[in-house]
Amino acid sequence: MSRLAELRGVGRDYLVGGSVVHALRTLDLDIEQGEFLAVVGPSGSGKSTLMNILGCLDRPTRGTYKLLDVEVGQRTGDERAIIRNRLLGFIFQGFNLLPRTSALENTELPLVYRGLSRKERHEKALRALVRVGLAERIHHTPAELSGGQQQRVAIARALVTDPPLLLADEPTGNLDTLTTYEVLALLQELVSESGRTVVLVTHEPEVAACADRVVTVRDGRIVLDQKNASPVRASEVLKKLKERAEES
Amino acid sequence: MITALRLALRALLAARTRTWLTVLGILIGTSAVVVVVALGSGARERILAEIDNMGSAVIFVFPESRSHSGARVASNALTEDDRDAIRLSAPSVQAITAWSSIRTRVHSAYDSYRTVVMGIDESHFDVRGFSIRSGRSFTPEEFRNKAKVAVIGQTTRLELFGAHDPVGQTVRIGQHTYQIIGLLAEKGRSSFEDQDDRIMLPIESYRARVSVTSGRRVQILVASARSPAHTAQAEAQIRAILRERHRLRPGDFDDFAIRTQEAFRKNQEEILDLVTTLLLSVALVALFTGGVGVMNIMLISVAERTREIGIRLSIGAREGDILLQFLFEALLLTLTGGALGILLAVVVTIVMRSTLGWAMSIDINAVIAAVATSTGAGLLFGILPARRAARLDPVDALRKG
Repeated sequence: MSRLAELRGVGRDYLVGGSVVHALRTLDLDIEQGEFLAVVGPSGSGKSTLMNILGCLDRPTRGTYKLLDVEVGQRTGDERAIIRNRLLGFIFQGFNLLPRTSALENTELPLVYRGLSRKERHEKALRALVRVGLAERIHHTPAELSGGQQQRVAIARALVTDPPLLLADEPTGNLDTLTTYEVLALLQELVSESGRTVVLVTHEPEVAACADRVVTVRDGRIVLDQKNASPVRASEVLKKLKERAEES
Repeated sequence: MITALRLALRALLAARTRTWLTVLGILIGTSAVVVVVALGSGARERILAEIDNMGSAVIFVFPESRSHSGARVASNALTEDDRDAIRLSAPSVQAITAWSSIRTRVHSAYDSYRTVVMGIDESHFDVRGFSIRSGRSFTPEEFRNKAKVAVIGQTTRLELFGAHDPVGQTVRIGQHTYQIIGLLAEKGRSSFEDQDDRIMLPIESYRARVSVTSGRRVQILVASARSPAHTAQAEAQIRAILRERHRLRPGDFDDFAIRTQEAFRKNQEEILDLVTTLLLSVALVALFTGGVGVMNIMLISVAERTREIGIRLSIGAREGDILLQFLFEALLLTLTGGALGILLAVVVTIVMRSTLGWAMSIDINAVIAAVATSTGAGLLFGILPARRAARLDPVDALRKG
């Protein structure tokens, strides 16, 4: 496996009311291509800050962040925007779809900022929506979709630019058990089938159990970094859940 | 570019009521600007046409009280003798007339009416461009003999005689009765007066019975120069003659005022410019207010759509993309308002022209100025909210929304 991301001595300080808060102290982390990595930790541990830095939404106060061997941590706003557009895909807890906008158009959005033609955008967005199993709902607006369907639109939007790294911040936080495993199954497929890398932040142990590797963050430091020898296969859990639902 | 435009359109249509109210502000401002300019240029055309109609070689002389070592003294009136002197010794003057008038009640067999009663001399019709429609004008004998005869203007005729033929009938002014010998051809309104609202008497007759205290004083002298090119010379000659006759020493101010048609024109143009500028600034204030409305709505829109901005930033929108998106929204608002405003202005102009009879013409320059102003307003008032949106920190924007 080759190195996708490399964090060395990364820290992030905030100034809150005149005093410095160390959201991240000093952090080293390597992420390999094709990994399904879960970041866990209590709230306030710094896992969201880590996610924002990985997602080039925020800049580290110190340390270096290399993505595909290129330093990206200290880039300008527009450069980071291009990196987000080309190399990263985001999946949020609250889905973050544009309201009153169809699934297709929501999925197309990253391509708009890439300057693709309407036709190309349509084709790619359609393919992504088919991939997440929403081919029949492309003209529905978020309000007309269930939570699980909305999150799948968000995944399609993250996939449409074909980025090497998907970042998912509590993607199942708003979903029930069944749809949680639907989404997890989809993410696992994306990792195993197309060699994509997924970094997922969660505080649910069941969700983390599906990852290949679990990194525990506490007080702005990585306190545990464990390989998961036998990750839970979300598709199998899903199958069992469905069977049980049919029985009752 | 097209995508940004479509985005802007969609955002505006999503908040329809708000969009139309904002557009309304710009609409009113723009149409106010266009209508005011149309009004101004229409009034200018009409008034300047009237002044040109006076004839470009016409010179007016009014008596004017003069300032004498700080104190104002009564004016040395102009007299018929002044007129005769000018007629005799001003070579550049072709013709000159003098008259006096008062406003008083005139009685006919049918009705009574307050009108202008004038005492005129032989040159009046010629210099002032009046003519007789029916009946006749005064004879030289009638001028000399203080004859009790009158000619009547069309407006006064309608008030006093209705549809009856006035020629041959009589009118009473004060205690005296005058025979009407002629009806004036219609001359229409000038901006100063209704030129058909009058009765004319020979000046000797007027002085003898209507205004007995005025002596040979007259209210005004009107001369015409030999040609427009002679106007300046004629003016100088009139001034020299009057100063000599009025025994003014060098350094004394004139006790009369000379106005040429050109000076009138300049004067009227200045007044028109002033009024137009005044109205235009009011209209521009309206447009500015509309622009502030746009800025207000855009600021609210940016605040409401912080999450949307966060989403767009997270999937790769650059600052410029966000800036353009909101700038386009502001521009679309103001341009729509501008276009509808011009449309409204055209309608208002047509309605005003047909119902009030005001001369108005839509000025292409005004339209261009209005479009430029509303576009400028869109940019000016859109840039601040758009910058605010573009400068948002993606992490903050995603958290706050």
